[in-house]
Amino acid sequence: MSPRDVVEQYEPNFLAWTEQFVEWQSRIGFDSAWLGDYQFEIKFDWDSAGDTIEFGDFEGMPKWDRRMQIPQQSVRDAIISMVSVQGDTEFGSVEQQWHLLDTAPTEYDRKSALRIMCEEQRHGWQMAYILCNYFGEHGVREAQKLIERNSSANPVRAETDRPRLLGSFNEPITHWLDFFCFTHFIDRDGKYQLKMLSTSSFKPLAASMGPMLKEESFHLGTGANGLRRIVKQGVIPISLLQKYINKWVSTGLDLFGVDESTSAQWAYVYGIKGRFDERESSEPADREHLNEESRGLYYAELKAEMKRINAARSGGELELFIPSDKFHRSVGMYHNLKYDLHGEPFEGSDEDWEAYLESTLPSAEDEAQLQEFFKEEWIQYREWKE
Amino acid sequence: MQAYALLNIDREQLRPFFERVPELFEAHHNSEQQNPDGYEELLYRVYRPYNRQMLDMIDEWMGLEQRNWGIEVEREVMLMLYAIRYPDTLLLESLSDESVIDLQRLSGYLHFMKHTYTIWDEDTRQGLEKLGIMIPKTERADPFIYGAYISAIELLKNLAPFHSFMEHDVPRQRLFQAALAAYGREE
Repeated sequence: MSPRDVVEQYEPNFLAWTEQFVEWQSRIGFDSAWLGDYQFEIKFDWDSAGDTIEFGDFEGMPKWDRRMQIPQQSVRDAIISMVSVQGDTEFGSVEQQWHLLDTAPTEYDRKSALRIMCEEQRHGWQMAYILCNYFGEHGVREAQKLIERNSSANPVRAETDRPRLLGSFNEPITHWLDFFCFTHFIDRDGKYQLKMLSTSSFKPLAASMGPMLKEESFHLGTGANGLRRIVKQGVIPISLLQKYINKWVSTGLDLFGVDESTSAQWAYVYGIKGRFDERESSEPADREHLNEESRGLYYAELKAEMKRINAARSGGELELFIPSDKFHRSVGMYHNLKYDLHGEPFEGSDEDWEAYLESTLPSAEDEAQLQEFFKEEWIQYREWKE
Repeated sequence: MQAYALLNIDREQLRPFFERVPELFEAHHNSEQQNPDGYEELLYRVYRPYNRQMLDMIDEWMGLEQRNWGIEVEREVMLMLYAIRYPDTLLLESLSDESVIDLQRLSGYLHFMKHTYTIWDEDTRQGLEKLGIMIPKTERADPFIYGAYISAIELLKNLAPFHSFMEHDVPRQRLFQAALAAYGREE
């Protein structure tokens, strides 16, 4: 096994899947000609994957290279489930975003978005490859489902289509402000998930994460920098931008899953999904609060990133902020509870609460106003460099 | 021959450098001397059609003296900047002596107009040397030496593990060049 591998020959299971993948592209509205000379590749970084299991009840044992080495069916099932969810998000984001290519503010943004979509599809390929190559019939069925579901947010959708597995990947991404928020907030959650899998006891999964994380850093940079360019241009009012941040932060926080999660705990026990800072941390894991801990690190990172975005403001402009992690949550201990943007309990009737949400989250009126701003030079120009 | 030499690089020797790329980048790129805000401005303010003022802005950020080129030489350099495609460097051979003697300046123009080309810098060259990648010292825009320099940085970019990469908006060639420069300066 060389330290880094690009797989050159595919097994029949996966080859058959790639043919269906081309049909998926056409069914969801993604023109494969947009890919240009981009080639999907299956990449492994065996070097960064490690040889021995790093945490959990199997710690110290050799990492598993093949399905038959995995000691229990429940562990196999958990790995299949994680790979399937990861793959589902990769294809889901392309379904949500491809329609934006026609309205890109600059050629630079169009090409950056296209690169992101190519790489998200490659990540989906990587997950499908793991399912098809390592998990027999069960894996092949799950790989098939990755290209059968279709995001509810995709403009091209049949009545019989089933949605994507996670809420954020069914949220409409109507315009480029949503796109930059998505790549900044939701792809950042993706980075956390990938890093947590990079120490996995299942070696092909751990080895997949290095190349994926390298690509993901460009996606996050596109989001953070897009928001910075918008702030710098100063056309879209900060108060309007804040509403979109409120919307996407709460969605991003929900993606970390429920508090006191037993499935996160089992994944840790099996060694298949670690903490975000598994290799860096010297503290023992709090196995009962794994999702909360990752969410906390993500939240702190959002706040630090927002300082960088705010630095682009002209003097006298309001400051953007990350809303409280209690605000507008659909998952976890604050699920459906009424807290304001600053984390204070909301005092008032249900009607007052609805009015508050209307004033803090994007409304139909805000969307219309935004369309007017889009007619101006609303984002700092940047040239695409060949 | 060049590709063979690069592929035979000692990966173990790279490991300590890769571990420190973000920290080294911060130390170099975000130093007052490097004027990171000025660098960021140039990413946005240099675009087609290129003009003399853009070259001046790059010279200023790089701390270089004013160019002393005639109109013909400047035109020749501009044409090269339009025509060149990464990773080609042979086009540098088409330049006349007046410009070809200043690799650092030319590499700056190439970097801000293409991003994939890397700024030539002595500290960076020494950083590569510490990693076992020997690039001859020069001030002339020798296409083979500069070609080896950009190929070496491209190779490092490909071999680096994910934790060497940052999410911020700096071309990856700059990330590695700046980290190498800090590394090259260390005792």
